[in-house]
Amino acid sequence: MIRTNRQKLALTSALLAVAALTASSLPAQAASDPGVTATSIKLGITVPMTGIASPGYNKIPGAMKAYFDYVNDNGGVNGRKITLVIKDDQYIPSTAVAKANELILKDKVFALVGTLGTASTKAISASTQLAKRGIPSLFVNTGFSGFADAKAYPTTFSILPSYQMEAKIMGKFLAEKYADKKLALIYQDDDFGRDALAGFKQAGITFGTYIPYASGSQSLPATGAGWISKLKASGAEVTVLFGVSSASTAALANAYAAQYKTQWVLGSVGGDATTIAATNKAYVPLLYGAKGFSFAPAPTDATDEYIKLFQSIYATAQPTQTFDNNVVAGMSNAFLAVQALKAAGSDLTRAGLIKTIETKGASFANPFLTPLGYSATAHVGATGYWIGTYDPTGALKPDGGKYTVYTTDSGNGPVVESSYKRPAMPAKGLPN
Amino acid sequence: MKISLKKSRVLTSVASAALVATAVIGIPSVAQAADPQCATASYVTQCAGAGADGAPYLFIAAANFNGTVFIWSHGIRPAIDIPATLAPVGPYTITNAAEPGPRSASGDLSVVNALVAAGYGVAGSGFSRQSLNAKEALAANVELIATFKKKFPTTKKVIAWGDSLGSLHTQRLAETNPDLVDGVVLSCPAANPSDAMISYFGDALYGFKAFFDPSIKVGGYSTDPVVRQTEQLANIGKVLTVLGKLSGGLSSGAWPDTASPAGKALEAAGIPSRSALLLVGSMAGIPTRSKHVDGTSGPTGAAETYPLAVAPAVAILENMGTVGVAGSLLIADGELLTGGKVFDNSKTNYAARVASDRDIYSFAFSGNSAVDAMLGALAATPRETADAAAVAKIPGLIGLKGTIAKPTVIMAAESDEYTPASIAQWYIDGYGTQFAAAKDAAIAAAKSSRNYQAPVNKLVMLWAKTAPKYSKFTAAGSPDLAAEIGAGTGHCNYTSAQYIAAAKMVAGAVNTGKFPSQGPITTAARKVGLSYDNKFRVPTFKSLS
Repeated sequence: MIRTNRQKLALTSALLAVAALTASSLPAQAASDPGVTATSIKLGITVPMTGIASPGYNKIPGAMKAYFDYVNDNGGVNGRKITLVIKDDQYIPSTAVAKANELILKDKVFALVGTLGTASTKAISASTQLAKRGIPSLFVNTGFSGFADAKAYPTTFSILPSYQMEAKIMGKFLAEKYADKKLALIYQDDDFGRDALAGFKQAGITFGTYIPYASGSQSLPATGAGWISKLKASGAEVTVLFGVSSASTAALANAYAAQYKTQWVLGSVGGDATTIAATNKAYVPLLYGAKGFSFAPAPTDATDEYIKLFQSIYATAQPTQTFDNNVVAGMSNAFLAVQALKAAGSDLTRAGLIKTIETKGASFANPFLTPLGYSATAHVGATGYWIGTYDPTGALKPDGGKYTVYTTDSGNGPVVESSYKRPAMPAKGLPN
Repeated sequence: MKISLKKSRVLTSVASAALVATAVIGIPSVAQAADPQCATASYVTQCAGAGADGAPYLFIAAANFNGTVFIWSHGIRPAIDIPATLAPVGPYTITNAAEPGPRSASGDLSVVNALVAAGYGVAGSGFSRQSLNAKEALAANVELIATFKKKFPTTKKVIAWGDSLGSLHTQRLAETNPDLVDGVVLSCPAANPSDAMISYFGDALYGFKAFFDPSIKVGGYSTDPVVRQTEQLANIGKVLTVLGKLSGGLSSGAWPDTASPAGKALEAAGIPSRSALLLVGSMAGIPTRSKHVDGTSGPTGAAETYPLAVAPAVAILENMGTVGVAGSLLIADGELLTGGKVFDNSKTNYAARVASDRDIYSFAFSGNSAVDAMLGALAATPRETADAAAVAKIPGLIGLKGTIAKPTVIMAAESDEYTPASIAQWYIDGYGTQFAAAKDAAIAAAKSSRNYQAPVNKLVMLWAKTAPKYSKFTAAGSPDLAAEIGAGTGHCNYTSAQYIAAAKMVAGAVNTGKFPSQGPITTAARKVGLSYDNKFRVPTFKSLS
């Protein structure tokens, strides 16, 4: 009897030992994931802080940091303070890769957050092998629909609605508002524009004139002038511009110079007055009357509780800076990141964070006026847009005086008016 | 007594180094000698001889020989003479000269000196055949180890090492003769996992043929040795000519006058030749950073547009010289040895190959529409179909399992255009799987033995990472090709200190049975400008991803 017990005891000990060994052979867990300690979480962002794409976008990291500091000053997330390491990628994908490598290998961040631009995000993902290394890339600032594909980009999460969604919603708008007009489309000739073409096709919209441009070529003086010549020749009455704000600047400025008039319809990425003003403040009024799209509350909407909070935080952190769309984007990004980190719990791991966003992300508190689409198969953030008109100051104001939000998907789903009611903001805008 | 011994060793070391520095290249090769001819002076014994197939060899050891010898396999040398008219590739005359260690072919004996002075033996064969000589190299290395041991019976450990194709020989020696090898150093390693290297060279040449010169051969060389050699040299000449013309048209976008009809149509459509050049690089997976082009810098006045619009193509241009010439030599030699065509792109989906690059290099590609047009233009050039019997012989010719069974150090550059970093990644990933299986087996064994024996790490990967910025520009705004090359670029550009560090690292592991912990390796690597970072990854081959 004693002997049997001893054998059992020995066997149990051996099994325990093996179990312990098995556990230790698992991939890196909490204790070994870089960038997280009992008291801190280190995040990293690469954005164009200098260069042609920097105006406007270079405010995003400061806005993020302002919100993180606000959270840190109020106890942090699960007792951890967040630090944000900021790198300047100049909007050059090769530089973005180098900077992401620095963030991952030298700064040893826990996760990337808010990477900006389709090309840079793709380059980082491919070159640094984020997926194979299990490194989260949170809430990338690009609407390329591919990043929402959890299978293709298992560790990457979008924050914007996809460009395909935007084109579908824009297509419905064009069909309803300008059915009898001659339409033209200027689009960035990469996956940004490819998403747009797919969305317009799904919406049944055909343009009389298509003008593609290679990303970056809008900075060449001849490019914008060439667009206007083509538009003039086509007699386009309504021109959709699906590109970045520097492309909008080139189009608006050259149209003005050529005394060419068209009804501009600008995609959400291309209607940023700050960027346009950085080229020439006098160009900002050229936005007046253009149609635009957004999914976040307008930065001038002081009745919105999120905007009110963000304005207050930003005024303290960056008293000399203007509160604009880029600030809202940055602070929304940081807000969502905090929600995700909070929901992931005290035992914070990269794998756990990804799983948390997939399972709980759709219900995270956030400032957007559309539902979030996070799931195990879809890593898409916001899922719709409201439509507005730019005033002479470059501010986008909702048509009809209120946000009428349309939502859809990146597939064949219909565009429908959303009945989504955004939940109340957590107390003081802090993680709950 | 102890002092006397130490003093003696120091003197021996100093004398060894001095002698090797002056004498190694002075010993002539002795063909078909049954035993090596040796000379000993100032404590250093140097031997020269030839193997059974006539391959010349050299080996050296000093009086303080510590029982460990390094067997060096040199990198690829062409199997044909190349005339001076094909500068900078030629002039080259076939040579079987023995190399006892890295850099020794160029007369730099610093690595050999350091190792001999430290008490190690060094040895290397010149191999009886050049180019794809894995069979000859294996036989020569096995024979050389035996010859060395016969001369130095106190030999206890053998470390095999090599550059480029020589590292393929090294790994092959370790895989096929594990009893002969105790440690391994693979420098800028060559390997052909699932014919990825054949695809790499072939895809690049196919792209050049499709766009820039339809007379460029991708394969299908003559079986007549004289005609084949003429074809190889002609192909190299055509590749170099096209590169020269592309260089001239980088800014204007002008295409070579040898362009294919499809290429000329693209030119007429306003697509610059640099975009097509970049597409060729993307199809094959050629690095978009090169010795003088970092991809992030631009000349004054174009600091932002140059990296986006031009730099990726310029890097491909600089890298394509190596790829085009090596492809012409290696594919022809592969066909000779296998008896048929070895490159096959009949089912290659080039659109998928370039998909991930479309956005990243959008401006340089001239946009998605241009990429679609260029991919469409490929249809005008028939695809290559390999001879199945020839392909079946490739694994026997240059195949490797990639198994790491002995302490191994790999050195690889992130932007190596000849043997891409993907090869090192293939080794790393393979060893990851191998190590995980060993761990599972150890756990399973522990269930019965109640004694867990954790597997020992046998692989240390030392990266020469490519710096973010290193490009210099001339006053005219062109990359300064006379400037120092960027770290982590080019093929086998390692310093003596780096070779010595790798050698001593593996020698230590051979003696102690394991590599030191991460800290000492990281420090040792950093001291010589290399990076030890288990979390660093490079993309896999395009043909495998």
